[in-house]
Amino acid sequence: MISSLLARFAESGPSVHVAPAPVTQLGGLTITNSMLYGWISTVLIIIALIAVARRVTVKPNGGFSQFIEAGAEFIVGLVEGAFDDKERGRKYVPFFTTLFFFILLSNWLGLLPIVGEGFHAGETPLFRPFTADLDGTLAAGIFTMAFVYAASIRESGGFGKYMRHFFVGSPLNPLYFIIGILEMLTDLTRTFSLALRLFLNVTIGEIVIAVFSYLGHFAAPLTALPFTLVELFVGALQAYIFTVLSLMYLAIAVNHASEHAEHEDADVSDSQTGAMNVHAESA
Amino acid sequence: MVSVADAVNTTIIGKGLMIAFGFIGPSIGIGLIGGNYLSAVGRNPEAAKFFGQALVFVAIVELFGLLAFASTFIVK
Repeated sequence: MISSLLARFAESGPSVHVAPAPVTQLGGLTITNSMLYGWISTVLIIIALIAVARRVTVKPNGGFSQFIEAGAEFIVGLVEGAFDDKERGRKYVPFFTTLFFFILLSNWLGLLPIVGEGFHAGETPLFRPFTADLDGTLAAGIFTMAFVYAASIRESGGFGKYMRHFFVGSPLNPLYFIIGILEMLTDLTRTFSLALRLFLNVTIGEIVIAVFSYLGHFAAPLTALPFTLVELFVGALQAYIFTVLSLMYLAIAVNHASEHAEHEDADVSDSQTGAMNVHAESA
Repeated sequence: MVSVADAVNTTIIGKGLMIAFGFIGPSIGIGLIGGNYLSAVGRNPEAAKFFGQALVFVAIVELFGLLAFASTFIVK
């Protein structure tokens, strides 16, 4: 029995796709299976969320809308808590809520049995999860970071003032200058780290599910089930992490900007309270 | 005379080494994060509310293991 099990490894392995495959051509543009499923899941998410938004009531009515309400409330609390000034943070809530639900529901729609080997267009699978495509997650990362940069430049009050945050002291000091340039380069890698993290987590989840359903043979649903459940958790965790990391990038810049604005007032009051403390101690 | 590269499938060995060494670091890192989180909760139960932040750091560390895993698909 073991030899027959080992022989299975020597045969052609499970069908594993790391990159999306082209499905059809549309006016000279190649449509890949992840693009196709991305459009389908986007339409489904929009319809589902609009339906939920119409059903929102003060008294909880249970079901799917309750779940979405709880998620939205969680993200609202998260965004407001990240900023020093709650009013300032409240206007960024819609963006991060959209981001969270789009990634979460895309990840979960990608776990449906119809995605992957379910339907075939010729040789290639017809559907592929949208977040299991580096182009898709890179687009999400670029748009998120563009929003974060635009918002932090606006909050700091100008491009020059925003660039000033990268330098600890005067930029004319060579040491601070080099540290500042390194900080900027580190900042640029954030787009790729956001995109790669989401892409790799989802893709490797798909691969693990494919491998274990292949190893299970006739009991494939049984062997793939635990890993599908793990992927449910990982999909939610990755949506949370994408949201929290982009929120942190924004909150650091915004909080830093408001700190600078208050700094001049703070200097005066600090010296006054310091003097008062000295008086109190001597008395 | 048969060279070692002909007799042994070096690609498989290379992939194995990539996965092995690529997974050591993140495993230690995630272990350290989890252990330090639990010791922090042990000292001060109030710190349990930072579980979300611990997960964020787990995700940052995890990326490097996933990069090593993904690179094995590039090696031919």
